[in-house]
Amino acid sequence: MKLLLTLVLLITTGVMPADLAGTWSGSFKPEGGEHDIPQLITLKPEGKTLSGSAGPNAGEQYPLENGSINGNKVRFQVTTGEWKFTYNLTGEGDELTGDLKLESPTESRVARVRLTRKKN
Amino acid sequence: MRRVILNLHLAIGLAAGLIIVVLGATGAILAFEPELDRLSHRHISYIKPGGRALSLVEIGNAISLKYPGESIIAYLPSSAPDLSTQVILSRGIVSVNPYTGQVLGLRTRGQSFLGVVRALHVRLATGEIGRAIVKWSTFATLLSVISGLYLWWPVKRMRIGGRLWSARFWYDLHSSVGFFSLLPVVVLVATGTVIGFEDEAKWFIDRVPAARAINKGESIAAPALKSERNQISPDQAVALACAQLPGAVTSRVQMPQFGGSYVVGLDDRQSRFTGEQNFISLDPSSGRIISIRLASSLSSGQRFMALNDAIHTGNIWGMPTKIVALVTSLLVPLQAVSGLLIWLRRKGFVYAR
Repeated sequence: MKLLLTLVLLITTGVMPADLAGTWSGSFKPEGGEHDIPQLITLKPEGKTLSGSAGPNAGEQYPLENGSINGNKVRFQVTTGEWKFTYNLTGEGDELTGDLKLESPTESRVARVRLTRKKN
Repeated sequence: MRRVILNLHLAIGLAAGLIIVVLGATGAILAFEPELDRLSHRHISYIKPGGRALSLVEIGNAISLKYPGESIIAYLPSSAPDLSTQVILSRGIVSVNPYTGQVLGLRTRGQSFLGVVRALHVRLATGEIGRAIVKWSTFATLLSVISGLYLWWPVKRMRIGGRLWSARFWYDLHSSVGFFSLLPVVVLVATGTVIGFEDEAKWFIDRVPAARAINKGESIAAPALKSERNQISPDQAVALACAQLPGAVTSRVQMPQFGGSYVVGLDDRQSRFTGEQNFISLDPSSGRIISIRLASSLSSGQRFMALNDAIHTGNIWGMPTKIVALVTSLLVPLQAVSGLLIWLRRKGFVYAR
């Protein structure tokens, strides 16, 4: 009974690690930007850490750096060149949403990100 | 009619005057953005040229000694003999002396003064509302310049009379500067308006029948990466890419671990507006060319926007046109301020001497 209650509590409070493994697609638009930028992200959770790759499409992928998972929250970085992207996302069902910070040697911008799980 | 035009000229000045001042002042700074950026990091930007330039592999080895275990994302070879080579790492951008391999310093990412200036110029350092205000203010400025010419025409004032700071002085200054700076101001503001309405401009130009893109580029799956030992070197990638565009200068080498393939950026300096927009992707295992995106295959819309940008920034003919862009950018706020002073004096808010 105690075990069942604990499980129910864990699930309802969202402490259980969400199943974030897989490929996610969507887009982001930097604050004040004109265009939506496509995103294709593959997440490979391993315990509390996260690896995988991200980029605008399957042909252009960059490795995830400093990836971590805390419950249904994920944080990771991607460096494509001058720009570094820092993602702070929350998973709910087949959706990953959150904020993205974009930094270059001269600029810092923010964006909202919305990704959905890509079905195989 | 004249009354209507005068009211339009006045209304634009009052409504968008402050924005025009901000755009002009920030535009003047941005005309020399790369130079100012290098100047503010001069200890890592400038070097004394001499001797044989090192290969990218040798530069990479120098980076590995300084930052062991750190992957190189891209090389940005020096664009002039007295400028350092940049090497992009996850932690920041490292400047290296391409003749000695000396690591000059690391630049981290984040907001800088020039970044704030750029954000102000493009979107008033805010989001979409700021961008929309800039876009429509620029268009309104264009109307203001045209209406100003209409108002100037019967008077044809071309010299400054009256005592310094008198009502006559401000009127003459506004009229004379407005006339003599008309052409560069129209060019600057019109090109700025096109940048603001970029999507609409591209849509329009790409619909001109003979202006369609020849090759819009292709998206292909990147080859599976093998270990680095089985890869061609970045220098070999550069040699293979340069053979596709003889005479071009390497501006960037993206490493295959970051993106999936070698991407070599080539600067064709014979092509003034779109010269930097040549990219050749290579399979890191075989050196096979995967895709070629040359400036010559850009659509007319893209070419037009590149030309428009080069005119607006003053890059079109180098230093002389950058100076024109700087001076013109400073004259725009002067016109907004002198116009406001004329109106304030007429309304009696400021006493005329």
